[in-house]
Amino acid sequence: MTAVGTVAITIVLLGVFLFVRGALAAVGASLLDQIEVSAYLRADASPAQVAAISRFLALDPLVASAAYVPKKQGLEELRERTKGTIDTALLTENPLPDKFRIKARVPDDVPALAASVRRLSGVDNVVYGQKIVARLLQLGAVLRRVGIGVIVVFFAVAGIIISNTIRLTVFARRREIAIMQLVGATSTYIRLPFICEGLIDGVLGALLAVALLSVARTALWPRLLEALPWAQLAVTPVDSRMLAGELVLIGAGIGVVASWISVGRHLRT
Amino acid sequence: MISLRGVTLVYPNGVRALDNVNLDIAKGDFVFLVGDSGTGKSSLLRLLYREVKPTAGEIVVDGIRVDRLRRNRVPALRRHLGVVFQDFKLLVDKTVWENVAFAMQVTGAHTRDVMRQVPRVLDLVGLSHKSRMYPGELSGGEQQRTAIARALVNNPKILLCDEPTGNLDPANTTEITALLQRINLKGTTVVVATHNQAVVDRMRRRVVRLDDGRIATDEERGYYYLGLRESQILSG
Repeated sequence: MTAVGTVAITIVLLGVFLFVRGALAAVGASLLDQIEVSAYLRADASPAQVAAISRFLALDPLVASAAYVPKKQGLEELRERTKGTIDTALLTENPLPDKFRIKARVPDDVPALAASVRRLSGVDNVVYGQKIVARLLQLGAVLRRVGIGVIVVFFAVAGIIISNTIRLTVFARRREIAIMQLVGATSTYIRLPFICEGLIDGVLGALLAVALLSVARTALWPRLLEALPWAQLAVTPVDSRMLAGELVLIGAGIGVVASWISVGRHLRT
Repeated sequence: MISLRGVTLVYPNGVRALDNVNLDIAKGDFVFLVGDSGTGKSSLLRLLYREVKPTAGEIVVDGIRVDRLRRNRVPALRRHLGVVFQDFKLLVDKTVWENVAFAMQVTGAHTRDVMRQVPRVLDLVGLSHKSRMYPGELSGGEQQRTAIARALVNNPKILLCDEPTGNLDPANTTEITALLQRINLKGTTVVVATHNQAVVDRMRRRVVRLDDGRIATDEERGYYYLGLRESQILSG
């Protein structure tokens, strides 16, 4: 029972971590999805150069979509965006250059794409919120790496707990095990009850964890949303049913592996 | 049935338990292994049921090369052997019946066969009327008979006994010895490690004496001490 409780707590922590990681990744991904690359053209760019850039963008596999935005349209959009805050009627002439608005297929490719576009002749400057993209990409990489580390640690902790419990049971029944071996029981036959115990510990722990997590989710999630209106968490970033399934599978797996190992140590003669 | 060729056993702590032992035991034989404590009697038995592996040499038991046996084949070997110990090694929370049936169940035997075989061996050892009792409620002799029933329940061709009468009084010792003899008459090869002189001298069977890990003497119809007859003649 202690094993079940401790495994449950471990898996609750793991579940919270996976959930937060999922949420952060989803927020990051949605921010990255909105990233646009603006390639501003030189004022003296020739139509031939514009056509060449257009062709390049159409052929580049990194590009999801690209649109030519002449400066007139750019100004319209600017007016639209700044309505009520800046009076664009004060402008005597259009200060904007022509540009291409480009979206990358994959956020990670944005810096490379921007660099290759900048090298095209007729392109004056490329802007895409370099700093934000760099940060988000870095965050994503860190989350992935830390995530793997944390998951490994949680696995190890839950595994050690279960294998210790099983080792106690094995120790209590060592006489019986010795006699079983003596009369010709196979190691699978001897292992099976202990594996079952480990499996049950793991699954019960995980189920308890899932129950606790779902209570926490229904009770705390709405308040969290209220408290953090700036965070774009309104969309459910993580499929909670799948997460529950994963946690139970993880619990079962840890239980089986841990008990397998701890009985195995005892069977070696 | 059993053959050892140049068998040497050195334990990890450096103790040389057996040193170049050669021994053949034929089918249906009854053999006493005698010798002082620590001369390798138990080690020899442990080699036969593959509790330990020899450091050198060849061991064949019922056609199985035991020295080369892979670990996952050990259960198959043990099902051909019955093993009995000084301390009985019974499960105290199981009845006589359950202790005996247990040895069949772990091999995956059908319940039908268990129900047929267990009464047979309990009858052989004379414990049918105590099949529902627990080891704690039995005398030492009865506990050892339970252990023998368990050893026999899978119909082994070989019965190995390590000091089977070591914990028993003379009356129970006689009883167990008679039982072992009956089992041997049914065709089972029996190997008994003992230092009970009375048992060995009364039975007059083959006696293999170990001394410091080597076979010192090997006599048909022997006595516990080699040349006892001569000394008896001299003194009597």
